Amino acid sequence: MDYDALVIGSGIGGMESALKLGDMGYKVLVVEREASIGGKMILLSKVFPTLDCASCISTPKMAATIHHPNIDVLTYAEVEKISRDAGGHFHAVVRKNPRFVDEDACTGCQQCEMACTVAVPDQFNADLVARRAAYIAFPQAVPKKAVIDRPGTSPCTFTCPAGIKAHGYVSLTRSGEYEKAFNLILETTPLVGSLGRACFAPCEDECSRGSLEGPVPIRRIKRFIADTHYASGNPVGVEPTAENGRRVAVVGSGPAGLTAAWQLRLLGYGVKVFEAAPVAGGALALTIPAYRLPGEVVAQDVGNLVAIGVEIETNHRIDDLEALHRDGFDAVLLATGTPRAARLGVEGEDLKGVVPSLTFLEDAKLGRPQHLRGKHVVVVGGGNVAIDAARSARRLGATVEQVCLERRHEMPAFAWEIEEALAEGVALHDGWGVAALRGPGSVQAIELKRCTAVFDASGRFSPRYDEADRGELACDAVIVAIGMGPDTAGFEGTLAPRRNRTADVHPETLQGGVPYVFACGDVALGATMITTAVGSGRRAAYMIDRYLQGQEFDAAAFDLRLPKVEPEDVLRRQKSHSEKPPGASGKAITNQPSDFWEIEAPLTEEEAHYGAGRCLDCGVCSECHECVNTCPADAIHLEMRPETIEAQVGAVIVSTGFRLFPADLKPQYGYGRYKNVITGMQMDRLLAPTRPYNSVLRPGDGKVPDRIAYVMCTGSRDQTVGNPLCSKICCMYSIKQNQLIMGALPLADVTVFTIDVRTAGKGYDEFYVQAASMGTNFIKGRIAGIRERENGNLIVRYEDIEHEGATREEEFDLVVLAVGVQPNLDTQALFAGDELAHDAYYYVAETDEDLSPGETSIAGVFVAGAAAGAKDIPESILHAGAAVAQAAAYIEGMKVGV
Amino acid sequence: MTEQTRDVREIVREEMLRRREILEVLAKGPQTVPAIAVALGVPAHEAMYWVMGLRKYGWVAESGDADEEGHFLYRAIERKGA
Repeated sequence: MDYDALVIGSGIGGMESALKLGDMGYKVLVVEREASIGGKMILLSKVFPTLDCASCISTPKMAATIHHPNIDVLTYAEVEKISRDAGGHFHAVVRKNPRFVDEDACTGCQQCEMACTVAVPDQFNADLVARRAAYIAFPQAVPKKAVIDRPGTSPCTFTCPAGIKAHGYVSLTRSGEYEKAFNLILETTPLVGSLGRACFAPCEDECSRGSLEGPVPIRRIKRFIADTHYASGNPVGVEPTAENGRRVAVVGSGPAGLTAAWQLRLLGYGVKVFEAAPVAGGALALTIPAYRLPGEVVAQDVGNLVAIGVEIETNHRIDDLEALHRDGFDAVLLATGTPRAARLGVEGEDLKGVVPSLTFLEDAKLGRPQHLRGKHVVVVGGGNVAIDAARSARRLGATVEQVCLERRHEMPAFAWEIEEALAEGVALHDGWGVAALRGPGSVQAIELKRCTAVFDASGRFSPRYDEADRGELACDAVIVAIGMGPDTAGFEGTLAPRRNRTADVHPETLQGGVPYVFACGDVALGATMITTAVGSGRRAAYMIDRYLQGQEFDAAAFDLRLPKVEPEDVLRRQKSHSEKPPGASGKAITNQPSDFWEIEAPLTEEEAHYGAGRCLDCGVCSECHECVNTCPADAIHLEMRPETIEAQVGAVIVSTGFRLFPADLKPQYGYGRYKNVITGMQMDRLLAPTRPYNSVLRPGDGKVPDRIAYVMCTGSRDQTVGNPLCSKICCMYSIKQNQLIMGALPLADVTVFTIDVRTAGKGYDEFYVQAASMGTNFIKGRIAGIRERENGNLIVRYEDIEHEGATREEEFDLVVLAVGVQPNLDTQALFAGDELAHDAYYYVAETDEDLSPGETSIAGVFVAGAAAGAKDIPESILHAGAAVAQAAAYIEGMKVGV
Repeated sequence: MTEQTRDVREIVREEMLRRREILEVLAKGPQTVPAIAVALGVPAHEAMYWVMGLRKYGWVAESGDADEEGHFLYRAIERKGA
């Protein structure tokens, strides 16, 4: 048996149970859901009727619990299931949630909190103030260790094929930390400016805000970050590892090759990139038109690599990968993309004036003369490259018609690209195939045949035609954009090409048949998107590093991501979402485009800030890595994952405490609508030494309240909310607060509206009398309703029972609702096999409250404290003692076989 | 003060967005929460969340005692990274 007893929950009842059992010599496991032990008591100001400091009483117990030699404590953990084994012991399954912080290394310095860029309501301050996604629960937390609030990966980040922390750079932008945002993207790729323009932004498709008014403009924010950085003239903000003496050759300088080169250089490798073209950047520099991605931007991105020492040689075609190895490169990475244009395979294809799209686009991008002004151009193809070609031809002065096999809704080009092309004057002929190109000499016409189906029943590309349905378009030039593929000719000895000519490498490790040769990006995957190529480049760098370090590839460890947070769960976190419309697209589309200036305007700083402010922080932690970069103890480990811990225990003590009544269920009191209506727990926080404000202030405007009202029995003794029970603690905690308020705010008037005041307990009634003598005005009267004045004051309407039941109204600065307690329902499905009985009010039922306190319907399972019903602190401690005695007897009985 | 109340989570989230604006307001001298709210054109209870969040994390601090209206003045604190 691992433990004599399992204690679930570490409030005062749980701690007392564990300490008593531990002192008796029993081995105890305590499981606490929150990041600190202490329950609700540690959050209180003082205790009644002694007015002792709650922290002063709690913290020694917390310390004693965590340091007790017979007690093990699991915080930030949940008991998932408990079942009884054949031997009569209990088998507990505990989920240890990841803190993402090494508890041994964390010193509790709070620097991660200070650096964190995500603010959420602080549940330990009853939502009166913010905490951070990286946080220490409260100042007296035990253990005083940070935790990163990460329920999962934000959809934007999860979706990014490149692995860019999209949520992270958005949250940094929201905080005005543009340079840090730039550096965060550099952790993934140096191509910040290029991706800020040319990425197809799958992150935005997944953005949770998209189901409200439209997604956060994530891509354009990235562009803003890049533009801001480059305009600043700041140097590259990352420091590569010192060179380790090993060298890697990268063949090809597209997004995959450059990203791999970047990553390898950061890891300490000497990297040289060979590029056959006259400029580096691959498709970014050569074929994506300047109106979408200016060459200067690509050059700025390429400059990042040069700045950290990557050597780039252009106009150098590599035909022999083995030769590179012989020349001293320890590994060779092929990343040559898909430069080979697919051919139509029809008569007349070699006529003058028929050009492959990649050639045309490269000539246009590099400013080579095209002489298309006034000419009639037909572009063949329905993909994004065809659209690029058509729109480029328009900018060169041509009349452009586009022909494609697919009907418009089937075209592989993005719908918005098709719309923009049409808006720029491109005439689309969808559903046509090319039958022949007609001359003589130069192309003069294109003969078309009706395409009746593009795909077969299995979805495979297999066009069928109606040969009788023909058409013809006169033209001066034809640009063929029907596909592209890799050019792996010459590499057969090192990378046997597949049937589609892609390099035959392992899909996970990207390693080829020759161990030192790897391939990534489109040459390995076939034509993809830029971000996919970037992700492939990152993967290749990771694998090459593992290879050169002589380590297992461990592909599963690459780019670990927590499961995606579902957008509907994100939206459910809030009761309402105010409308924040997305900004304008920023695109200027004209029917007569005449130049290659970017058509999309940059976001202004104000727009970027506003756009980032629309982020819903889906994953809570944004993965901005500020905590990682700041932590002086290197204690942050975002790769941590949940652990399942199983333990055999002899007995179980359920001490899961209670919940507070949600005050908004009494709408006539206005909680949640009126800013100066608060709960008793919120007032306790305002009065505590670790209070959220600098004084007792009202949340509506920070004013010191002069007149404060208490509404007793909020959610207790109230059939309208289904709770006829008295919560026992509300009268006394309110009286306690009355006295503390009058100490903190000597000029304040305090009025308590009550049905009656219940003060059963030693010294309780005296405590009540003392409050009255200090000036608390107790009015026997029920509250009919509360309404808010323009200045935030509150008009309380009540029935004055002691004065003939007259209805009266009084004005207050602040109203405190003395909320009652409710059962914690978490215990209901805890036990497998045996049913843990609950009473009519859903508290854990005791078999005989009078004669066997703490004993439940399951032999060996005991309940301690308020999990069995409303109790104040002394009662909880007393009840825990009873439960412990029962548990000890049970454990001893098990030992002797009783 | 009777304007539509936004969800607390939404208000709190905007602390990061508003930090710079609030610090710019306080750069001219200490201000009360209502005065900061007026400067930002936002409800006072929203400014209260942000100012108290900034106070908690060391960006602002109260300056002296409450004024006759019962409001404290808050001032910006010079800190690394601000």
